[in-house]
Amino acid sequence: MTLAMEIFRGRRRQKGARRVPSKALEDSLDTLKDSYDLLGLLIEDARFVIFDTELTGLKLRKDSIVSIGAVKMVGGRIHLGDYFYRLVRPETALTGRSVLIHEITPEEVSTCPDIETLLPEFIEYCRDSVLVGHFVSVDLGFVNKELKRLYNRTLQSPAIDTQRIYRWLAQQRENGCAYHEGRIEELDLTSLAGRYRIPVGRAHNALDDAYMTAQLFQRFLAELPGAGIRTVADLIRIGRL
Amino acid sequence: MLITDTIEFLKGIPPFQFLEEGALGELASGATLEFYPKGTMILKQDGQPSDYLRVIKKGGVKVYIQPEQGEEIIIDYRSEGDSFGLLSMVGQDRSRANVTAIEDTICYLFERRTIQRLIDTNPHFTEYFFKTFLTKYIDKTYKEMRDRSLLYGGGEKLLFTTPVGEIANPDVVTASQDITIREAASLMSGRRISCLVLVDAEGAPVGIVTDRDLRDKVVAKGRDVDSPIRRIMSVSLIRTDVRDYCFEALLKMVRYNIHHMLVVDEGKLRGIITNHDLMMIQGTSPISVAKEIEAQQTIDGLVGASQKINRIVGLLLKEGAKAGNITRIISEINDRMLKKILWLAERTFGQPPVPYCWIVMGSEGRKEQTFKTDQDNALIYDDPATPEEEGLATEYFANFSVFMRDALVQCGFPLCPGNYMASNPSWRQPLSVWKEYFSNWIKTPTTDAILFSAILFDFRPIHGDITLAERLRAYLTQLASNEDMFLRNLAEMAVKLRPPLGFFRTFVVEKSGEHKDALNLKYKCIAPMVDIARLYSLAAGVSEVGTLDRIAALKRLPGAMAEHGDDLEQAFEFLSLLRIHHQYDQIEAGLEPDNFINPDKLSNLEKKTFKEVCQLISRIQDSLVKQYFPGTTL
Repeated sequence: MTLAMEIFRGRRRQKGARRVPSKALEDSLDTLKDSYDLLGLLIEDARFVIFDTELTGLKLRKDSIVSIGAVKMVGGRIHLGDYFYRLVRPETALTGRSVLIHEITPEEVSTCPDIETLLPEFIEYCRDSVLVGHFVSVDLGFVNKELKRLYNRTLQSPAIDTQRIYRWLAQQRENGCAYHEGRIEELDLTSLAGRYRIPVGRAHNALDDAYMTAQLFQRFLAELPGAGIRTVADLIRIGRL
Repeated sequence: MLITDTIEFLKGIPPFQFLEEGALGELASGATLEFYPKGTMILKQDGQPSDYLRVIKKGGVKVYIQPEQGEEIIIDYRSEGDSFGLLSMVGQDRSRANVTAIEDTICYLFERRTIQRLIDTNPHFTEYFFKTFLTKYIDKTYKEMRDRSLLYGGGEKLLFTTPVGEIANPDVVTASQDITIREAASLMSGRRISCLVLVDAEGAPVGIVTDRDLRDKVVAKGRDVDSPIRRIMSVSLIRTDVRDYCFEALLKMVRYNIHHMLVVDEGKLRGIITNHDLMMIQGTSPISVAKEIEAQQTIDGLVGASQKINRIVGLLLKEGAKAGNITRIISEINDRMLKKILWLAERTFGQPPVPYCWIVMGSEGRKEQTFKTDQDNALIYDDPATPEEEGLATEYFANFSVFMRDALVQCGFPLCPGNYMASNPSWRQPLSVWKEYFSNWIKTPTTDAILFSAILFDFRPIHGDITLAERLRAYLTQLASNEDMFLRNLAEMAVKLRPPLGFFRTFVVEKSGEHKDALNLKYKCIAPMVDIARLYSLAAGVSEVGTLDRIAALKRLPGAMAEHGDDLEQAFEFLSLLRIHHQYDQIEAGLEPDNFINPDKLSNLEKKTFKEVCQLISRIQDSLVKQYFPGTTL
C-alpha cells in the first residue's frame, strides 16, 4: 500500500465513508457466509473459532472493540499454538468503568492498530470455521457493526452460543422436563467454568475468556453424542443465537 | 495463557523439565488439548497406532491389557504429569494396551514429529522416556502374564527343580577325535561354538575340547596346530545324567573346575550344559544353599553359606515369586542354618541333661522374616526332677545358649536389642516357669506383659523335644481365649498405630509431591495387621502362628475374618512384597535395609493398592474399637 493510498484511506475514514473490501477479505467473508456448507460436517471434523471481545462498554451504538481473542478447535481438540489475540485502538473513548473491567488502559492501546486493520486479519483467521462464543450475540454484534460501518457487510455465518448449549444440555439432563425458568442459575462464563472446574484465567482478557469458553465448549462436545447431536447442523440447531 | 500455562506445566514434569525453554515453547505451540469424560477409551489395544503422545494435564487413566482369555491385566494407573502412547507412537505400531479415562481427564497432545525430533536430539529426554515406558511394559506386563500362565506355574517353578535334560542344549557339535587341532578350531569358529565333542569311530563321546583348551594347551604352549586334537582333549569326561537336577550338575562342575559338561542318557550323548546355563542357580538357588549348609561342619563354613541368602531373595524376586513364598523359603533356610548351629552346639557340649526345645519368636516365629533379622530366640527345657539335675541344666543351657548367640552373630544374625535371646537367663527356663510367665502376663496385663506376649506368643519350635513347645502352645491357646481384660489390652495395641489414610488422599486428583515424609511400613501397616491376626487368633483359640496361617484358619470360623480374611491376606501379601522389594533394592545399593517407603517411588498402581490396603486396615481397626471399647473413639 502506497503512502498516498494510506493518506487517502485515512482521509476517507475521517469522512466516515465506506471502503471496498480487499479481494482477500472478500474471500474470507465469503467462506464465512458460505459456512452453511459446514452444516453437514460431523462435529469431530469441523473447525471452530471460539472468540471473545473486550469493549469500551456494552452500548452497541456508543461503544467499540478494545481487544479480540480467539482460539481454534478442530472437533474437540483445542489448538493451543494457533490463537488470535489483538489489542485495538478503539473507535470511541475508553471510559473509566470499562478500563476497570478489562484493565486495558487508553495509553496501552493508543499505539495499537485500529479495527480497520485488524478486522481483515480476524476474518481471515475465522476462515472455514464455525464461530463460537459465550453470549456470542454481543461480540458478534460489535464485529458486525464495524463490518457494516467499514464495508457495509455483515457476517452471515451461523454462530454458536455456549451458554445456550449449556442450557440445552441442562434441559436434556432433566429428562426432557421444561427448563426451569424460575430457577436462578448463573450463566456467566466464570460461573460455568467454575462448575466444570476449568481454571479461570485473568478475567475479562479476551484471549483467556476465549480459552475458557473453548474448554467449556470442549466439555459440552463430549456430552453431545450421547444426546444425539452429531453434526454441525445439529449443534447450530441447539446453540443458535 | 495458553502457551505459558503449557510451558509452566511441562517444566514441572519429567522428562520435559530437562528441555530448554525454547524447545518447550515449540512443544507448547504445537500442542492440542483434548477432554475425555470418565470411561472414555482413549487408546485401544491392537488398535491404530497412536499419532500423539498424550500427557495428562488433569485426571487419570488406567492402562491395561485384555488377554484373549481371562481377566484384564492392569499395567498401570497414570495421573497428572504422566504420559501414555509413546511406544505405539514412536514405533507406529499397534497400541499395546487399552487406555481408559478413570475420571474426567484432560490431556495435552504432542505430535509425533515433534516428539520424534526431541528423541533424536535430546539424550536425557530419550533415556527417561524409554526407561519408564519400556521397563514398565516389559517387566510388569509380561511378568504378570507369565505368572498367570499355567506354563510358569505362578513363578514358583525355579530352575533348581528342573532336571538337567530340560535345559541342556541338544545341538551338540561332534567331530572325529582324529582331526587336527587346526581343523577343530576352524570348525568351532565356523559354528561359533565354545566347545567341541569328540567321538570315536562308533560315535561314542570320548573327549571334549573347549576354548580354554585351545588357549591353555595350544597357544600358550606353542603346540603344533597340525597335531591331532585328541592330544589336547579332556578325556576324563565328567558327565551328568539327563535326570540329574541342575544343582547336582553344578556341584560336579564346581568340584572338577570345568565349564562344560556332557549330558548323557544311558551312556548316549543327549546334549551339553555349560556353566552359563547354570548361572541362574550358581550359588543362588535355595536348594543349593540349603545343601551347602548341610555340608558344613564348622561355624566358619556356615558363614560363607549364610552370605548367599540375600542373593536368593534377589533371584526369587526376579522370578516373580510371591512374598509369602519368599519369606517361607528364607525362613526354611534360616531354620536349617539354626538347626545346623544347634547340632554343632550339641556336638560341642554333649548331650543335654534334660530334653530341651529351641524356639524362635516374633517375625522369625511367624516365618515372616525378609532379610536376616535380629535373633529372637528362647529355650524351653523339661522340668528337672532333682535339684542336682536342675543345677546341671542351668549350667549346661547357659553355656549352650551363649555359644548359640555368638555363633548366630558370626553367621550374620545381629543381637536382639531387646535381649530376647536364650542367652538371657529369663528366656531359658523349664516348661513350668514358661507356663507361669504366660499365665501372669495374661492375668495381669501390664504394659511389659503385653509387650512380652506380643513377641513371645508368636513362638515356633525349631529343634529338640518339640512336644515341650507343643505343650506350651496348648496351654496358651486354652488360657487366652476367655481373658477379656488381656484381649482388650491386645486390642488397644492393635488399634494404636493407624495406617496413614491421609497419606495418599491426593492420589490422582492432586500430585502427592508435597508429602515428602517417608512412611514406616512396618509400624504403620504391617505391625497392625500382625497384631490384628494375633488378637483374633488368641480370642478364637486358633493356635497358628504365621499371620497368613492365622488368617487362613480364622476365615473358616465365623466372625470378622470370614468377611475380611481374603482381603487381609492379599493386603498382607502386598505389603510384604513391597517391603521385600524395598529392602532388596537397598541391599543392592549397599545400604542398610529399613522399612521407610517413600511414596513418590511407588508406581501409581502401587499407590492405589496401598491406599486400599490402608483403608482396609483402618476399617478392621474401627470394628475392633467398636467391639472392645464400645462407646469410645480412639
